[in-house]
Amino acid sequence: MKRQPFNPNLVTPSSTKAPARQSTPITVSELTARIKRAIATTLPSTIHVIGQISNFKRHSSGHLYFTLKDESSELSCVMWRSDAARLKFDIHDGLEVVATGHVEVFDKAGRYQLYARKLQPEGLGELELAFRQLYNKLSKEGLFDPGHKQPLPLFPKRIVIVTSPTGAAVGDIIRTLQRRFPSVGILVYPVRVQGESASKEIAGAIARVNANAELLGGVDLMIVGRGGGSTEDLWAFNEENVARAIFTSRIPIISAVGHEVDISIADLVADLRAATPTAAAELAVPVLDEILAGLAMHESRLFRSVRQITALATSQLDGLAHHHCFREPLNLVYQREQILDELCGRQHQRLTQQIRLQRQRVEKNEPTIQRIHPHAAIRNNENRLHRVMHRLAHITSMQCQQHDRRLYQLMLRLRQQALDIKLSHSDQLVSQSHILLSASLRRHMATLREHLWQQQQLLTALSHKRVLQRGYSITRLKKGQQILRSVKQLQDTQRIVTELADGEVESEVVNLSQLELFE
Amino acid sequence: MAKKKLSFEESLARLENITQQIEQGKVGLEESIDRYEEGMGLVKQCRDMLSKAEQRIQKLHEKADGSLGTGKFEEPKPS
Repeated sequence: MKRQPFNPNLVTPSSTKAPARQSTPITVSELTARIKRAIATTLPSTIHVIGQISNFKRHSSGHLYFTLKDESSELSCVMWRSDAARLKFDIHDGLEVVATGHVEVFDKAGRYQLYARKLQPEGLGELELAFRQLYNKLSKEGLFDPGHKQPLPLFPKRIVIVTSPTGAAVGDIIRTLQRRFPSVGILVYPVRVQGESASKEIAGAIARVNANAELLGGVDLMIVGRGGGSTEDLWAFNEENVARAIFTSRIPIISAVGHEVDISIADLVADLRAATPTAAAELAVPVLDEILAGLAMHESRLFRSVRQITALATSQLDGLAHHHCFREPLNLVYQREQILDELCGRQHQRLTQQIRLQRQRVEKNEPTIQRIHPHAAIRNNENRLHRVMHRLAHITSMQCQQHDRRLYQLMLRLRQQALDIKLSHSDQLVSQSHILLSASLRRHMATLREHLWQQQQLLTALSHKRVLQRGYSITRLKKGQQILRSVKQLQDTQRIVTELADGEVESEVVNLSQLELFE
Repeated sequence: MAKKKLSFEESLARLENITQQIEQGKVGLEESIDRYEEGMGLVKQCRDMLSKAEQRIQKLHEKADGSLGTGKFEEPKPS
């Protein structure tokens, strides 16, 4: 211990011990300890102080440092991070609060401080303030914007319910879902819905379902909520982490917190707010029976309208099929033929008329044409030519005849002269030949005569007359002079003529007999 | 007719569209019969989809690796 500097006021010779003890200097630590003790014994261990926050600082350690002040005084305050974590609302300068804690001396700085364990906003509920603060903050960030709301699926296949597994809400939701849409898949994600860790569990559940949605076979919708309770009970749904988890979720979320009157931050961020858990289930799924009825209605509407269309088409077709052009298709042709005929007739008439007119014109002009036509001249010339040719032919033939006659006469004279010459020459030849000829003739004649006689003798020998002379006869039918060679040629009473060598005898057949020899 | 599998919502929307088209007579006879068949197919498809869904309630629990498992869910007795 250092020596104290001299202080005459403190030196009193008469009081050596007791006063000296009283005036004995004490250390800062000692004094501080005394003050500490004095405060501890004088002030209650829990004290509530009202004041306005200033110089607010949140240290990186998590501890809060601030000053509470009123018009005339200031009080240093500390709030440890364990207590600060429980604060629902944000601290800022100017906030009127009631700080609850105890006063203690901070030895190192030599000053007393209020160690606040709890802060409550003055004039306003703590939770109400927290709500307002978070509301303002998230509102500024746009978490409540309708633009961020995701559309809900019309027919969710699988729904995750994030709620307490033991509360009334889960039963209400399940029953309502099953009543309306029995085929929907339901997954319950059990979480605590009140108390310290509730918000963390709820926010974690939302995040984890999003992360594992594929693994679960796809999740179309989440219902996050709980049944009714006090403001504190529902508080988890007013926590920022829950609000942010809902906002971040890719799966649409229906919030259902408490009763109709309770509105939470979660409700405001959710894609759809349901007044109650039952209402959430009603919003989540349609009524299957209604859908089936709708389907059946579609079915019958489709059927009806198609039947109507086909019936209409059928009757149209029938109508067309009965149209006369199909029943009597040739009529069309005939009608056109008639028109054609009429046209032809008219054309014919017109043509004939024209021809007549033209003919009349021709006839009228014909004499003139005849007159002026070269035909006449040609014919005239032809005629003349003919006549000339005729005369020419006549003259020529006459001349020819004259020449012929002269030629003939000349020829005759010529032949006569030639004959005369020849005759004299021939006469000699003839007389010579005559002599030769008559000699050979005589010889030849004798030979012939000899031959003739021989032949006559032979003929006589071969003649039937000779046979007849030998006693044979030839019998003929009187009628037809056929020589009889067989009795088969004969009948009774038939007349026959028999030729003998010196005459004939006529006889009648009286007895026919046939030689058996040849039969 | 349907090239890709339509979702229930798409099927229903298509069905609605087909019914309107036919009712309003916007399509010809042949097409309306085609559409009718398609529509009836969609009705059947929708019914199938509705009947095929899960129809069960399960409980989720967190596994050690952070993923989610499913288990039987015991519904609390309504009070």
